[in-house]
Amino acid sequence: MAAPIRVLTAVPICDGHDSAINTINLEFIRHGIEVVYMGYHRYATDMVRAAIQEDVRALGISSYNGGHVEFFSEVAALLKKQGADYIKLFGGGGGTITTVDAAAMRRKGVDKIFFAGTPLSEMVDYVHQHYGGARKRGGKAPTAEMKLARKLTEIEDSYAGGKRKRPMPNAQRRMPKGKKSGRKSGTRVFGFTGPGGAGKTTLIDELVLRLLNREPKVRIAILSHDPSVVGLGALLGDRATMINSQDERVFMRSMATRGQAGGLSPATEDCLQLLAHSDFDYVIIETVGTGQEAMPFQMGLVDKTVLVMNPDYGSRLQLQKIVMLDLADIVVVNKSDQERARTAISEIERRLDQNKRSQTTVSTVANRHRDAGVDELCDLLLEKR
Amino acid sequence: MSKLGRVVEAVENYNQFVLDEVKRARSDKAFGKKLLDRWNEVKANTPIGTAPTGLKLPRLALPEIDEAGEIARYLLGEGLPGEFPFTNGAYREMYLEPLREPEEGSYGKNGRNGKNGKNGTKPAPKAEQEEPTRLFSGFGLAEDTNERFHYLTGHQRSARLSTAFDGPTLYGIDSDAEGVFGKIGEGGLAIDTYEDMVRLYDGFDMGSPSFSASMTISGPAPIIMAMYIAAAKKRFGPSVIPKLRGTIQADIFKEVQAQNETIFPTEASLRFLCDMIEFTTREMPRWYPVSISGYHIGEAGATPVQQAAYTLSNGFAYAELLSKRGISVDQFGPRLSFFLDCGLDVEYIALARASRRIWAIGMRDAFGAGPKGQMFKLHTQTSGRSLVAAEFKNNLTRTAAELMLAYMNGTNSCHSNSADEPFTTPSEEWIRLAAHGQAILLDESGIFKHTMNMLTGSPGMKAVERAVEAAILEEFRQIEELGGVLSAIEHRYQRSQIQNAAHRYEQQIYDGTRPIIALNKYANAKEEMPEVEMVRTPRAKKQLQVDRLAKFKKKNAEKAQRALDKLSDVVERGENFFPTLIETVEVCSLGQITGRLQEIVGHFRPMV
Repeated sequence: MAAPIRVLTAVPICDGHDSAINTINLEFIRHGIEVVYMGYHRYATDMVRAAIQEDVRALGISSYNGGHVEFFSEVAALLKKQGADYIKLFGGGGGTITTVDAAAMRRKGVDKIFFAGTPLSEMVDYVHQHYGGARKRGGKAPTAEMKLARKLTEIEDSYAGGKRKRPMPNAQRRMPKGKKSGRKSGTRVFGFTGPGGAGKTTLIDELVLRLLNREPKVRIAILSHDPSVVGLGALLGDRATMINSQDERVFMRSMATRGQAGGLSPATEDCLQLLAHSDFDYVIIETVGTGQEAMPFQMGLVDKTVLVMNPDYGSRLQLQKIVMLDLADIVVVNKSDQERARTAISEIERRLDQNKRSQTTVSTVANRHRDAGVDELCDLLLEKR
Repeated sequence: MSKLGRVVEAVENYNQFVLDEVKRARSDKAFGKKLLDRWNEVKANTPIGTAPTGLKLPRLALPEIDEAGEIARYLLGEGLPGEFPFTNGAYREMYLEPLREPEEGSYGKNGRNGKNGKNGTKPAPKAEQEEPTRLFSGFGLAEDTNERFHYLTGHQRSARLSTAFDGPTLYGIDSDAEGVFGKIGEGGLAIDTYEDMVRLYDGFDMGSPSFSASMTISGPAPIIMAMYIAAAKKRFGPSVIPKLRGTIQADIFKEVQAQNETIFPTEASLRFLCDMIEFTTREMPRWYPVSISGYHIGEAGATPVQQAAYTLSNGFAYAELLSKRGISVDQFGPRLSFFLDCGLDVEYIALARASRRIWAIGMRDAFGAGPKGQMFKLHTQTSGRSLVAAEFKNNLTRTAAELMLAYMNGTNSCHSNSADEPFTTPSEEWIRLAAHGQAILLDESGIFKHTMNMLTGSPGMKAVERAVEAAILEEFRQIEELGGVLSAIEHRYQRSQIQNAAHRYEQQIYDGTRPIIALNKYANAKEEMPEVEMVRTPRAKKQLQVDRLAKFKKKNAEKAQRALDKLSDVVERGENFFPTLIETVEVCSLGQITGRLQEIVGHFRPMV
């Protein structure tokens, strides 16, 4: 089976009209397309950086607030300037984009504008027909970031093509000895997991803000996962809620699990290897929202594992069933401003005492600005081994 | 239980109370007689007007009932126009034209002067009888919108301006920010400094009772409000402040739920908003500091019931926040106003009626508000989403039907969309037709100007009203189950409900179960994209805005730092920042202030 087409969609700066793009995203996903969604009110530079890092086939922009000729032109020019015009640019804006505008936009390098009233099926067909074939990259020498992005695509596609299979289930695998030595000295890999809705993405984004502020030359990679079933598309939406990770010092890649259970994709391990051996100070990997039995970081590449929970996990009995509580180095109780938080923290601490190993709990309110709990988590992660 | 749970109880209890009173009216003779006497008195005191054809009509039409139980059901269940629970209208006479001849009876002595008859000058409009027409406007730079305002109000008795802002302004960004040049003055006008605000309302007497301004902006609303005050102060002196009339949208909840124009985290936005409301309720008693808006919720795809339910529950949530601040409900209650969408779905037959009733009962019985705080004062806009590009002149018919529904529902003011809206900021030709649509309905036709209750109370309308009320209460229960409005927002409840409804709507258009004429029914296959006059802001104007801003920043460079530091201190100390903000805007731009506040309270994290 061919690898799914990946596209990036977004809404321009100063524009919050996301109703159309939400509908289009859903339609794409139903028809096997993987959509990296950046959300609304996004800068052209951020869109282009994301499109390159995600190595998508096309970038789709939905604009309803005017200024589309300028905005699309800016995006097209940036893609071209960076030698990334192998990423096709398409979009729409209902009736706000006239035929005259569209012609001007095409001259600036926009591949396709969909006008008001275009059936969703026509858009889906267009993406399949025009962005699904063999890929032609431009002649310009790719930057290091592009090379990395392409390698990640090759790895991911090789699994989708069935050429490669995971040799063994996660749990039985161990890294061969000495593999870590190939890394840039000091690269630290942090694994984040936990149930859906615990606030992992927000927490990571806040952590990134602190790392960026503390170390002016820091380079961070994020590998984030969202669930998908074989043969269907996926909504890779973490970028949409991240506000601090849209930074030129951050390389982010969103992956769909493509049918694999346990919170990661078949290609994760190889992709993580590659990132850990690239030029980053920190690599952060985020699983999808996981269930009680999941234990995603068995590949030995992660230096510290962080389990993110929120206080409403149910009864104390439920804690006994969460396998990651045995394995995590740090357990974060996020949303600790909720009523139940105090009880939750003491229950979790008692549960960890059973393990008799040095595990730490931290309570955070990730969506609170300048939260001291997130500062503490940052300190803990940066502690020397 | 949050206050919303109490509102549900209050409405249920009230409905039961009405049923009990109907029974009592039938069994308790004295009570029945009291009701019949009241009924006869109302009828006897209703003045009679004359249509241009000479036909005599009562100015208030009532159901033809003469039985005490039914009278109780009417008077208590829906109330006369202007009476609790306000189902038929917030005021007694709404759009009625002034009486043309002196009439007998006290009801006619409403400040009308009989001598101003057919040939006399019109009497000055009472507050409730000013023209309800509001046309949303804003494009280009301040002076362009100013010119449009003068054009629009040239023929009106009063200047009621409704202001639209461009994208950068709505997001609290300056026109010189990265990547926003193309958006300057598009879809609304650009405001960077209070000097732009001075230009915007130039030539209008901002303190006059016949002037009011409405500003459609939420994320940076306190900053824009401060600029408005600073501009008025500069032109008319500090004594103008208590005289200012108007509305600022400032609705953070609907931004988070639907429209996405939010710049600070929700909690911080609400704090800034409450600071502003605290100031305006004290210092500007004629100002409406928040317009609780369902329009954008509707436009984002919500069903009419969702729209009304989220709007009302947001309103109750504001009331709860303000009460917690220690502001009395009788102070803030009368300053809350509402804004709903009106489309073509059947719910719109009675959506505003049901909303007015729930608000009145909730405010009286769950919040203890007096009569003025019970009134759901409503601005309506016809549905932009219902308009389509294909054979766009049909949009005139759509808007006309929606206007009819809006006025049947007793809206206090109304904006009618221009037919060219699916493509562009409306051009003058279509704006004029949109305004005329309202005038034809209200002035030319006899539908609304002679008799109140002309089109209310049909069995169908009552059926819709009851079904809608029950569905709204059911939505309230869902929100209450999630812990109230704020907690439901955290759970993405409203957003996901709206998105699901939007998706269904699109599906229905594509599979044809929702007919849209000329789009999926009777479509003309050969049709080309229509040629319409596009309103765009020329490059030179955009540059002018950037240059002006640069000049302002240069002029105030030193003072700006000090002013921002002072503002920071006030915010960090947790004091009400609004009085200081009015000074800050004199030397700082919108973007400078937004940036500084974001350093302190953080950025809004988008929800998907």
